[in-house]
Amino acid sequence: MFDAVIRNFGFLMGGFGVTLQLTACALAGGITLGMIVGLGRIARNKWIYQPVTLYVNFIRNIPLILVIFWFYFVMPIIAGRPLNPFISAVISFIVFEATYFGEIFRAGYQSISVDLIHAAYSTGLTYSQTARYILIPIAFRRMLPSLITQSIITFQDTSLAFVIGLQEFVRRASIVDNLEVRSIQLYGFVGIVFFIFCFIGSKISLHFEEKGRRTGVL
Amino acid sequence: MIEIKNVSKWFGDFQVLKDINETIKKGATVVICGPSGSGKSTLLRCINGLEPYQKGEIIVDGISLSDPKTNLYKLRQKIGMVFQRFELYPHMTVLKNITLAPMKVLKKSKKEAEKKAMELLERVGIPDKANEYPANLSGGQQQRVAIARSLAMEPEYMLFDEPTSALDPEMINEVLEVMIDLAKEGMTMVVVTHEMGFAREVADEIIFMDEGQIVERGTDEEFFTNPKHERTKLFLSQILV
Repeated sequence: MFDAVIRNFGFLMGGFGVTLQLTACALAGGITLGMIVGLGRIARNKWIYQPVTLYVNFIRNIPLILVIFWFYFVMPIIAGRPLNPFISAVISFIVFEATYFGEIFRAGYQSISVDLIHAAYSTGLTYSQTARYILIPIAFRRMLPSLITQSIITFQDTSLAFVIGLQEFVRRASIVDNLEVRSIQLYGFVGIVFFIFCFIGSKISLHFEEKGRRTGVL
Repeated sequence: MIEIKNVSKWFGDFQVLKDINETIKKGATVVICGPSGSGKSTLLRCINGLEPYQKGEIIVDGISLSDPKTNLYKLRQKIGMVFQRFELYPHMTVLKNITLAPMKVLKKSKKEAEKKAMELLERVGIPDKANEYPANLSGGQQQRVAIARSLAMEPEYMLFDEPTSALDPEMINEVLEVMIDLAKEGMTMVVVTHEMGFAREVADEIIFMDEGQIVERGTDEEFFTNPKHERTKLFLSQILV
């Protein structure tokens, strides 16, 4: 019943490889930028706070697919040459997901008492040292379940990159489908693979949530 | 020497500090008491630049805090602070809590920082807790670690913000003993506390604050036996049962 899948297994899984690469780049960039965006969202300096807040509110209120399109069509104008769809997709996802990760980090930072930050300052640590050794690690640990959930969403979202012709998992399934006309089994297979990965991810998230609740360390 | 000159501070329209004047000499222990909301903790936070003030001047060893050229991070290296709720870093062991600043700020080697940390833990009486996380320690032990963490920077001044008021009664003394030793060794200390036994034993000066003002000040005996102000008398009668 999975004849078309079996015949094109290598080609399909190659697409899944692209999906995984795209996810990895989007998460690495999105989470790193998100840590900084979160700091900007709690900044007291309005020259930092205002632009960062504008960026977050703007991106969070437009559909992801528009961000992907927009970067794909605008970046060549800025760069002066056509970008390959993978790079274009990575930039779009980083810019988009960083706003969501940024809000998760903001919540994490705000859960830290002002006096804990004062305590760090009173030992002579600078702002960037306090962010690096105190704020970010604590926020990361406290928000780990939310970060994993958002990572799963990012993983699912990467399939939207097919609109700019990137040959990721869904795109390749549709290419095979055009030749073989086996829509149900092909998209069924894609669905099962996504489900397995996301299901494992959500179980990991749950594990950390319960662990956090049990130990109460943070 | 810490000089506080005509300092006023507002939170919006609300004036929390009203024209505060005080000089804290090297080696002195000054106790600040007063009802909650009187501005004691805010004053303490102004001394190491954690809170800005709008009027007046605070000068630490000749350096003005309100001077925009002053590097507050650098200045804070010599002013340690201990908080009511300990504020240990929850994701680090006791040892890492103490060695973080010496390693990152003073650029000490790990070995050197840990040696010093163990000496300090010895001094506050809990060397066996070095590898525990703060959550596994009692309040009294956490506060002693917090004191050790401040001392690891070898500060010249120590600020204490109600260091015993979040502790169970049986743990208050273990923290006070550490503080008394520190005062007797000549550390310059500013302590916000209602522990009048502590004030009697080590304070060179006691300040009573109310509604953002210094209402009364005196050396310990005159403060307790002969308070001049009505509000001080009332306050003392409430806390000295």
